[in-house]
Amino acid sequence: MASSGFEGFEKRLELVFSLPSCGDGARAQHGLRLLPVGALREALDTVQCAVVSAAGNAAFDAYVLSESSLFVYPSRAILKTCGTTRLLRAVPILLRAAAGELGLALRSCRYSRGSYLFPEAQPFPHADFADEIRFLDGAVLSALRFRRSSVMPPSQRHSQQQHKWHVYAASTSDDDQHVDGATHFTVEVCMTELDRTLARQFYLTTTPGDGRRTSHAIGDAMTAASGLGDVNPRSLAFGYAFAPCGYSMNALDGARYATVHVTPEDGHSYASYECGGAEAGCALASVGKAIAVFRPATVSVSVCYDGAGTEAINTASIWSAVADAVEPMGLACRSRAAEAFPGATTVTYQTFTRTPASLDMINHS
Amino acid sequence: MAAEKGQVIACHTKEEFDNQMKAAEEAKTLVVIDFTASWCGPCRIIAPVFAELAKSYPHVVFLKVDVDELKEVAVEYKVEAMPTFLLIKEGKEVHKIVGARKDDLLAKVAEHGGGTASA
Repeated sequence: MASSGFEGFEKRLELVFSLPSCGDGARAQHGLRLLPVGALREALDTVQCAVVSAAGNAAFDAYVLSESSLFVYPSRAILKTCGTTRLLRAVPILLRAAAGELGLALRSCRYSRGSYLFPEAQPFPHADFADEIRFLDGAVLSALRFRRSSVMPPSQRHSQQQHKWHVYAASTSDDDQHVDGATHFTVEVCMTELDRTLARQFYLTTTPGDGRRTSHAIGDAMTAASGLGDVNPRSLAFGYAFAPCGYSMNALDGARYATVHVTPEDGHSYASYECGGAEAGCALASVGKAIAVFRPATVSVSVCYDGAGTEAINTASIWSAVADAVEPMGLACRSRAAEAFPGATTVTYQTFTRTPASLDMINHS
Repeated sequence: MAAEKGQVIACHTKEEFDNQMKAAEEAKTLVVIDFTASWCGPCRIIAPVFAELAKSYPHVVFLKVDVDELKEVAVEYKVEAMPTFLLIKEGKEVHKIVGARKDDLLAKVAEHGGGTASA
């Protein structure tokens, strides 16, 4: 593997706030969506990324960034950044702006990431999970009493297990007493060793601006040509093509979001698919379609769910639904784990690699 | 009502909007409508770009419509995400941009609006 290249694996932060229940109508209704442009820009500048396109619907705002994506709901912000960005440095800025400008109190915080392809290239505190935990503890300590971090799956006898899921979650409560009745699901898929032919679709063949084709228009063409537009045909998709290669896309479907990021370079190719919303069923069903677009040799899937009304959902049903979506792609499950975190949050994590049978199929085709 | 050239005109009533559209259609002028909402973050990000465009193309009419204020106009033009930019010439939609996509907005206004003031 090259000693350095573009780091595809994202760092992902989710902050949930309590909306004021009375008083200022606009703040109670729109919450974080009213964050001033200046505060948003300060946070993104600190992280070292910028907005390249954005759109909102009745439920939320979605931003495509130079390094991944940002989603802003009235009470929830999800910031996901790749490369050597300093994601966690946004936390104090966002908390200060949410409290100072909008009077919003932090209710929970969740941070997750995979194992970097190029860990030595990461800036402090991101190179070491222990430093990340210390940084997060420092930022949320006063607001969130219950905090827990974990690396999943727990230590393995087979050292070939190099894919790990790092999770930090903190909440004002240890159970779901605060929950407003809303269930929330997030599915995060990380894919490496993409099919080379399919990955090549995410290289520019023309220069943006030539023939009046912008990075937005080329991105939209990649969405359609790759089949990513069919993962959820009901959604409104916003693609963006980077030079000389790479692609990002946000999709909006009511209150449900989805996002795809691709760094297609040979040797360290990576793609991620993430979706979130109130419903587990359609989110899990979309995973197989997204993986089919890239045909990766290695896949990890993490599902996070919280909130009331999750009685019907359990770890075993999530594991089997994920396996049902992934295994038809010629991938076999190599590890699985599940852990509970403060705030009635459960995180599952499964890894899959290509089966020898499917390798034979590819070699002979 | 004399529209100030080089400025974005915010339409607060359906009547105001209709009058602007009618005047532009008669003058065969390009109209660019920004469908926006006070609670939409992406709208706030692109607003300065839209204002700059209005300065650069004084012969083009730039309108701003708040989708909460003029719901029926937003419904009529099938606005489903914010911001949405509509380019209308002689009563016909010539282009639609959904989302804050600066490069698309600049390119399409240049394409349909002719030269800038300095050109």
